[in-house]
Amino acid sequence: MKLNRRGFIKLCGCVAGYAVLSVNMAKVAVAASMDFVGLRQNSVYNADAKVYKLRKSQDNPMIKKIYDHEHGFLHEGPCGHMSHHLLHTHYVDRSAGVKALKNKGFKLAL
Amino acid sequence: MKKIEGVLYQTNAPKGEDPDNIYFVQVDPTKCEACGTCEEVCGTGAIQAINEDGIRSVVNPAACMNCGQCLVNCPYGAIYEGVSYVDEIFEKLKDPDTVVVSMPAPAVRYGLGESFGYSTGTYVGGKMHAALRKLGFDYIWDNEFTADVTIMEEGTELIQRVQEQGKEGARPLPQFTSCCPAWVKFVETFYPDLLANVSSCKSPIGMLGPLAKTYGAHETHTPAKKIYTVSIMPCIAKKYEGLRPEMADSGFQDIDATINTRELAYMIKKAGLDFRSLPDQAPDAVLGDSTGAATIFGNSGGVMEAALRLGYEVLSGKKLGNPDIKVVRTHEGINTADIPVPGFGTVKVAVASGLSNAAKLCEEVRAGKSPYHFIEIMACPGGCVNGGGQPLDPDIQASLFSNTVAQINKRFRARKVSA
Repeated sequence: MKLNRRGFIKLCGCVAGYAVLSVNMAKVAVAASMDFVGLRQNSVYNADAKVYKLRKSQDNPMIKKIYDHEHGFLHEGPCGHMSHHLLHTHYVDRSAGVKALKNKGFKLAL
Repeated sequence: MKKIEGVLYQTNAPKGEDPDNIYFVQVDPTKCEACGTCEEVCGTGAIQAINEDGIRSVVNPAACMNCGQCLVNCPYGAIYEGVSYVDEIFEKLKDPDTVVVSMPAPAVRYGLGESFGYSTGTYVGGKMHAALRKLGFDYIWDNEFTADVTIMEEGTELIQRVQEQGKEGARPLPQFTSCCPAWVKFVETFYPDLLANVSSCKSPIGMLGPLAKTYGAHETHTPAKKIYTVSIMPCIAKKYEGLRPEMADSGFQDIDATINTRELAYMIKKAGLDFRSLPDQAPDAVLGDSTGAATIFGNSGGVMEAALRLGYEVLSGKKLGNPDIKVVRTHEGINTADIPVPGFGTVKVAVASGLSNAAKLCEEVRAGKSPYHFIEIMACPGGCVNGGGQPLDPDIQASLFSNTVAQINKRFRARKVSA
């Protein structure tokens, strides 16, 4: 099939159209997924400002109760002995697993 | 396999198993269309092509931080979860000798409604508490309470670190947050030299588990051994955290089961509850009440803002009039800010979401060039509200564009291989 002048222009138009359209659609897809996150984030800040009567952790009456100097379960205050026993932890070096993988020839991002 | 809110789950409830050997997410090779979206969103490179057709797979649990971003971004629903405690929880709820307590995370109440036709992000905290009560949970305790405890502990630790600088045995700055289980596994795996910078505080759920079985048991006159704690998270990596052997400071395994927002929605539907007509209810004392500082933990920048609401008042000795500290709120990527605090000076902070962004901040710390006091890291872009355990974004699976491109690419590759 021989392509005449008019056909060639039409083809160019179509190619350009599809190129622009697909680039824009890709942008829209990425923006849409972050919008979805944005909607959830906005709802969180909205609840913080409007649903919750108290907005600082130290003002929570149950926080005052648990850290009460006389009768509180954590009466020594934050980072006291009981806190260190129950609420703090230690971490483990887990680098051996990925080192073994890299030695087997796997390529990782880090 | 069980289909839960559009995602397949293996009905596997491990006990005492080494979580380092479990595939919490994996690709079903028969459904994979080789589009490569999972590989693009993976921060560590754990998910990669395993054959010439480009079929992807998580190559080894050691490289996977269990964040689940691959799963929520897969346009074909080809990625499944390896662990689900749903069946076991239904059994425990029926057992009269077991006291089942709920521990929902902040971000769950901003995603759960989507499974019941509410618009994206709708706050359904009150209905969530009512639904948990109707499901038969004995105590509606809430992980937001221990988000407030985390601020007290982690904020105090930060102030201690700042004050001990220059002294012998001082813990290093910057201090990293430790709430996000994918981030904690990440720093243990790729930056073990920075572990002294990570806050020694457990995450909020890491705190609520042992408090439920000690303080909660005492306050409700319940024998601790009868308590079965259910962690309800917007997350997949929390299933790994719950299985960590060191999480047993109450004398028992602190967290008995971990499910995510999708699985809670499934349980509510399975029990036949009409979620939309439920009343708004409050959680139970003494481990239920919370503040706005706790609910913002679900957003990137939220832990930072909540900690600053405490740090400002402790360091300056003054009341913080307006609790909004908007400069640290982070939609995506890395955000840095200087916060002026009277009587102290400037608190320098950084907030990042996404593990590749976390790596950039870690490299700075490793090089000794990090100027910050406090760094908050979340593995999922935007924070827990966009966690791997949240209801799926309907736009991703319906994205005709990416589906079509992937299918064309796959055919093209198939032709090349056969030729």
